[in-house]
Amino acid sequence: MSVSRDDVLRIAQLAELDVTEEALAEMADQMSRILDYVAQLSAIPTNGTVKTFVPGPDAIRFRPDEVAPPPLAFGPEEFAPAFKEGFFVVPKLGQFE
Amino acid sequence: MSDAKAVADRLVKAKRLNALLTPAKDLRKSLLAQAAAARPTGVLYGMPVAVKDNICTLEFTTTCGSKILEGYQSPYEATAITKLKAAGALIAGKTNCDEFAMGSSTEHSAYGRVVHPLDKTRVPGGSSGGSAALVAAGAVPAALGSDTGGSVRQPAAFCGVVGIKPTYGRVSRYGLVAFGSSLDQIGVFGRSVHDAARVLSVISGRDPKDATCEDRDPLRLPNVPESLQGFVIGLPKEYFPPELDPAVRRACDRAIRMMKELGASIREVSLPHTPYAVPTYYVIAPAEASSNLARYDGVRYGPRFDGNADLRGLYRATRGQGFGAEVRRRILVGTYVLSAGYYDAYYRRAQQMRALIAQDFRNVFDRGVDLLFTPTVPSPAFKAGEKLSDPIAMYMSDIFTVTANLAGLPAISLPIGRVKGLPIGGQVIGQAFLEDEMLEAAYALERVVPATDEA
Repeated sequence: MSVSRDDVLRIAQLAELDVTEEALAEMADQMSRILDYVAQLSAIPTNGTVKTFVPGPDAIRFRPDEVAPPPLAFGPEEFAPAFKEGFFVVPKLGQFE
Repeated sequence: MSDAKAVADRLVKAKRLNALLTPAKDLRKSLLAQAAAARPTGVLYGMPVAVKDNICTLEFTTTCGSKILEGYQSPYEATAITKLKAAGALIAGKTNCDEFAMGSSTEHSAYGRVVHPLDKTRVPGGSSGGSAALVAAGAVPAALGSDTGGSVRQPAAFCGVVGIKPTYGRVSRYGLVAFGSSLDQIGVFGRSVHDAARVLSVISGRDPKDATCEDRDPLRLPNVPESLQGFVIGLPKEYFPPELDPAVRRACDRAIRMMKELGASIREVSLPHTPYAVPTYYVIAPAEASSNLARYDGVRYGPRFDGNADLRGLYRATRGQGFGAEVRRRILVGTYVLSAGYYDAYYRRAQQMRALIAQDFRNVFDRGVDLLFTPTVPSPAFKAGEKLSDPIAMYMSDIFTVTANLAGLPAISLPIGRVKGLPIGGQVIGQAFLEDEMLEAAYALERVVPATDEA
């Protein structure tokens, strides 16, 4: 298995996502299967100079640089979980590892 | 002009499919108001169009089939919706889908699975399964979906309707909730090629709000051609492998014979990097998803889980409890392939492979081939639960559709026959921004192919 339980926990931390103890083994197993499957990409020779491909316009068109109010039908106080005096309310920062 | 009440009744009648997320009461009220306000001169005047729940609307909530956006009312609407309304169409409710469009069966919705309209034990495909099922059940003539790896064409094939994924940049993505931004396009379902095409024509065209939308006029619809004289249609041999379901092969052979009878010249071609398309897609799409879905953190919108924790605990609890299993899996895979030490082995390699896959198509089109014809999916609709425990088996359902997304090309799926009563789809892939040619071929094939006959 290419992904261990510790790997899952480390990645989950990067992704700011709780993975419960019960789900850990299955997640490690399924991530391993997916990553082992996509690893076939590294087995084939691609010329190192292949230019990456991104669809869409060749150049970004800019809009006029004008200050305009956000085009919202109603403000964040309507859809935010907690909003007060123009600010989103969040719990205190806590301890970052 | 269809009666707004009758439209609502038809949608409510299809309740057993679990395809519609909008409550009946809200739907009726909104449809009556919309019908009263609709512009009678619009080209889609009175046409009800159901909309996948990952496209923002002011009329209804937008949940993306997720608990993390339960009850979310968007404060703005997608450009595609604004254009539909300007053309007189009625937004006929929001349709169930795999959570954040991640899935191929519409079983990964926080609001329950969608039932296949012809066989309740089977899936309608996904991720736009709700939209496909409602069109197939005759509840609406057309619906919007989104197609990141086949999420319009695959359910269209499973349900026996038409599904179009336009060229990347043909339709504005403003207001389409982002999953894989370099792959996503809003697509259209219709009961016929023409129903789908005329909705596509309305929603297409430039939009200053989306920098990846091309600065082009809306798509002009072609006439239905008398024949396919002059068309060179390529059959990529990688899309007809020996293990292809024999009934799918028979239906494709019949459609190919008919295109030949219509005067098309048929040529076998090769797209040699096709076997790497699914692994490429399942690196790039989760990578983009892990970045796009970072915004759901319980701070600005959507519900908040465990509000007593510190900020980081709030993020983790909200995301851990708000996202379903498949979304969590893809966020973690995406984070993994982008993380230090793995970026070159996975993500960079996938980007290079994507370029080679796009080059395969250019090579074929440069050699005089106008369009490609393939099966849409390797098999008809599978049983509910059949592929849930095996993500790779589920991903293989997209094997013939992901390439058009990777290369940014337009593609259409249309019904070409049935096997034991289940629909089979045929796919026509076109050249970038030549949807008109693709539609001509689809119009011509649709007229002759016995879409509901056993293959």
